[in-house]
Amino acid sequence: MKLDLANPAWHTALPPSRTIATDAPVSACAFSRDGGVAAFAQGDGRIRLLPADVGAAEAPASEPVHRGAVLAMVADPAGDGFVSGGDDGRLLRLDVDGAVTELANQKGKWIDRIATHRASGALAAAAGKMALVFKDGELREFGPHQSTVADLDFSKDGSRIACAHYGGVTVWSIGNVTLPPRRFAWAGSHVALKWSTDGKFIATGTQENDIHVWRMAQATDMRMQGYPAKVRSLSWSADARWLYTSSQPVFTAWPFAGKGPEGKPPLQFGEEGASLLTVVAAHPAAEFVAGGYGSGELQLGDIKTRRSVVLKMADGSAITCLAWSPDGFCLAAGNDNGDLLLIDLRR
Amino acid sequence: MAMSQSSAQVPVTVLTGYLGAGKTTLLNRILSEQHGKKYAVIVNEFGELGVDNDLVVNADEEVFEMNNGCICCTVRGDLIRIIEGLMKRKDKFDGILVETTGLADPGPVAQTFFTDEDVKAKTRLDAIVTVVDAKHFLSQLEQGDEAEEQVAFADVVLLNKTDLVSADELKKVEDKIRAINPYARIHKTEKSKVELEAILDKGAFDLKRILEFEPDFLEHGHDHDHEEDVKSLSFTADRPIDPDKFQKWMGALLQIKGPDIFRSKGILAIDGAPRRYVFQGVHMMMDADWGQPWKAGETRASKLVFIGRNLDGENLKRSFQDCLK
Repeated sequence: MKLDLANPAWHTALPPSRTIATDAPVSACAFSRDGGVAAFAQGDGRIRLLPADVGAAEAPASEPVHRGAVLAMVADPAGDGFVSGGDDGRLLRLDVDGAVTELANQKGKWIDRIATHRASGALAAAAGKMALVFKDGELREFGPHQSTVADLDFSKDGSRIACAHYGGVTVWSIGNVTLPPRRFAWAGSHVALKWSTDGKFIATGTQENDIHVWRMAQATDMRMQGYPAKVRSLSWSADARWLYTSSQPVFTAWPFAGKGPEGKPPLQFGEEGASLLTVVAAHPAAEFVAGGYGSGELQLGDIKTRRSVVLKMADGSAITCLAWSPDGFCLAAGNDNGDLLLIDLRR
Repeated sequence: MAMSQSSAQVPVTVLTGYLGAGKTTLLNRILSEQHGKKYAVIVNEFGELGVDNDLVVNADEEVFEMNNGCICCTVRGDLIRIIEGLMKRKDKFDGILVETTGLADPGPVAQTFFTDEDVKAKTRLDAIVTVVDAKHFLSQLEQGDEAEEQVAFADVVLLNKTDLVSADELKKVEDKIRAINPYARIHKTEKSKVELEAILDKGAFDLKRILEFEPDFLEHGHDHDHEEDVKSLSFTADRPIDPDKFQKWMGALLQIKGPDIFRSKGILAIDGAPRRYVFQGVHMMMDADWGQPWKAGETRASKLVFIGRNLDGENLKRSFQDCLK
């Protein structure tokens, strides 16, 4: 089975999907590690779990697990459940049967970013100026940073974490040997961060609507300008050849194969949306990218053929999150209105 | 479009004031009184408030310089993040109050609402409310620039702890506040007791409401000619303004004096324009738009006001006059 946007079915009807309307904005969505469950984190403190099957029956009601809003959620790298952070300062582990374990409680702080490393089962969360790292059953704290940690990510091998903050990025070695952190400075506030899937680059989105990328080996850096809004969503293709970015009306990918993007324009493709992309998510294995718009539209792009197809029409409610199922055939999305979406891409 | 957007934006009130002036008391009142409204409160010291409330958020004041070559363009990074997070909540609220620390400069908070597109899309700066300690204000002025700047920024002043001073002392304090900022509304209070309508939803930064908020904005005789470090200067003109000259002058002025200009406002009669041109700003940031049309036969008078530090009135007056037709 494969995804093929040349299939005429894409242009005659929207793919099979399932939408569940709720009344709280969706802040994050994720599939469990085994792909069986899709989870949606919401502004009412709830995490709604749905069978990852567009034909399934209604989801069971769920109780709030956070006081206030759930601000971040990811698939548990060490199990089949999920890990969430909230504005109640708690970091929670949720099993698919609903059991909740508190991993950290930092009253007064918000836990609004979580990163994971699949292979090692490690987990990192931003809590104020500190980064909390859970690895091999141990909690270690890294920081304080110059400002609140705005985003964080693991290196490909899981040996380091990169934290974005005011003034640049700090990379910590999280192994047993304590090494001094490495600083990558660039003036201003960095609001989003993704480490490339090959480990060679760290990309950030800045308060000034730019993208900043550091090349790890030479510690050289580059700046991409020309965005009309902050780039809050960055996503590296599985082969690390492309960096997809939000905040343009079409899919925008910077080329990182060969010598890198210096002096080259980004590749832009797809149907122009009525607004800017708010979220982009590269396919876990292949050359596809999913994009959600401020208008509510969803598109699927193919960087090889530079085609795109519409997965969901605009409805005025901004797409806030996107997640691919591990097998790459199902897409989860959430929006500001509280709609939980599952889309089956097999056709 | 613009109208419907503004009604959906959550109003944000910035609450400043020197240490011990009564900000916390005021916040406790707002959170505990039965007024049927819900306010999110962003405080700088968690636990100081007696009220345990989901809608109280702790903030470390993180003042970030924008990396755009403009030295006085600073924003509150924590505020951008918190407002984004608050908007994810299911339960919406009627307003947001941002408390600044006693020694904070209100500039970066205000500038955040001019600079950050995401913040602007979801919220609007409503007013800067400054709580003044009637008993200690005059001595606080001696201790540094903060107390003075907080009053200079204010749209509303809560002249608090009036029960702790004599009528004479109160008069002195009030005169001093007026000398720094004659445009702020003053409410005299004891124990920060004030009607919420006096401080919330004032629309002080709404260009459409500049006249409504300051009915005597266009009247003369506001300026106080004391030797204040921080003072307000107003300029009027009965001749129309040359738009090109004015833009050039204003641009250069904000470039050079931006850090010293806390607030600016103006209603201008632009040569040949059928509508009033209204603007208001904080430091170098400025919002401007076309306002009400001039009526037939109406005197097309202009006025602009600066509240700032070390402003040379004579020089400004001359250069403003040069912008007239």
